[in-house]
Amino acid sequence: MKPYWRLTTLALLILFAAIVLPRPSAAQLDPWEFEVYPYQTLGRGMIELESLNGVVAKGHGSGDHGTSAGALPSQSMWRTAFELTYGLTDRIETAAYVNLAKPSGHDLQYAGAKFRLRGSLFDQGQLPIDLGWYIELESHRVPEFDDQKLELELRPIIQKDFGSFSVMLNPIFEKVLDGPDRHKGFEFGYAAGIYYRWMRTLSPGLEFYGGVGNIRHPDPSKEQQHYIFPVIRGALSHGIEYNIGAGFGLTPGSDPVIVKFNLELEKFLGAIFGPSSGSGSFF
Amino acid sequence: MRYFIVVPALIVLTMTMLRDNALGEDSVVELRYENHRFAPQTITVPANQPFRIKVINASKETIEFESFKLNRERVVGPGETVIVNVPALSPGSYDFYDDFHQDVPEGVVIAGQPRRNLKNKENLK
Repeated sequence: MKPYWRLTTLALLILFAAIVLPRPSAAQLDPWEFEVYPYQTLGRGMIELESLNGVVAKGHGSGDHGTSAGALPSQSMWRTAFELTYGLTDRIETAAYVNLAKPSGHDLQYAGAKFRLRGSLFDQGQLPIDLGWYIELESHRVPEFDDQKLELELRPIIQKDFGSFSVMLNPIFEKVLDGPDRHKGFEFGYAAGIYYRWMRTLSPGLEFYGGVGNIRHPDPSKEQQHYIFPVIRGALSHGIEYNIGAGFGLTPGSDPVIVKFNLELEKFLGAIFGPSSGSGSFF
Repeated sequence: MRYFIVVPALIVLTMTMLRDNALGEDSVVELRYENHRFAPQTITVPANQPFRIKVINASKETIEFESFKLNRERVVGPGETVIVNVPALSPGSYDFYDDFHQDVPEGVVIAGQPRRNLKNKENLK
C-alpha cells in the first residue's frame, strides 16, 4: 500500500469517527432535504427542478422533538421543498428552495426558503478524493416550524469512488445569524451516503443523517438525532431521476420512521460560460 | 474539541491530495462527437491504469458525455473540447453515451487490452 493511501485511509477513519460516533448532544439536520450532495455539480447550462418530499410516519406528539424545531409536533408532518438549480459553470451551481409543510390536521403552509451555491474543486478524478464546497442561507420567518429566523450553513463535500461504489460525506456546520440562538456558535451535523451503481434505472444505497447540536456544547446523546436511510435511486427517461427511502431514527430524540421521496427533472437550458479549464480548480 | 479532530484530518486529506496531484501525466484517448455519433465507439485501454478522455464536440449540438459505470458526466457545447479523468479500471466494459440524445448510439470503454492499443497519447498541462 502506498504511503498516501495509508494517510488517506487514516484521515478518512478519523473524519468518519468524528462525524458518526455518538457524543453527548443533539443535532441540526434539515428535515426538508434528506439528500447527500455528491462532488459532481449540475452540468453547465442545465436547469433542474427537484421536489423533495418527506413524511414522518412515526414521530413525536409534541413540538420541539424529533425533526420538529418549532411548536408543531413532528407526527404525521408532511414536508415538501421545491428546488430550482442552475449549472453556472462546470464546477459551480446555484439553487433556490421554497419549503412547505403540512402538519397533521392543518393545511399546507409556507415554511421557509433557502438559497445556496455549491461547487467542486479541481476536475473529478484529478485528486485521490474529490472535494467540493457548499454555502447556504436559510430563512424561516415561520416560528411554528423553526424559531430561528436566518441560518448560515457550510458543508465540505467529500467523495471517493471505489469501483462501482461511491462514498460521500457532507459534514455540516450551521450558524444562526438571526433568532434566539444567534449568540451561540456553530452547530454540527452530517449527511453521508454509500451507493452502489447497479443499473441506471435502479441502484441501492445507504444514507446517514444527523446532528449533535452546538459544537462546543453538544446536546445529550439521547436528544441528538441520527438516522439511517436505506434508499433506491435511479434515472428514468426524459431526464427524470428519483431517490426513495425510509429512514429509521437511532436515538430517542429522533423521529422513529420517516419516509422520503425525491424526484427531479433535468433539462439543458443554455450555458452562460464556456467549459472550465482542466488546469483550474475553482471556476 | 471536534475542531481538533476534524480540522487536522481535513488538512491531512488536502496535503495527501495535493501530493498525489503531481502524478497527473496519464494517457489521453480522443473521442470525437460528429454527425450524431461518437467516434470511435469502442475505446480500448489497459486495465489498472488511469487515463483521460478528450471529448471533442465537432457537431452543432450540445451534448452531455455521460457514463453510468464510470460515474462521469460533462456538458460539451458545439465546438468545445473537455477532458474527462478516468481512474484505473478493473478489466471489463464501461458504457458511455450522450445523455441529451437518447438516439445516439452508445459507446463502450474496454479495459484490459495491452497498452499499445491506446489510440493517442499526449501529456496535458
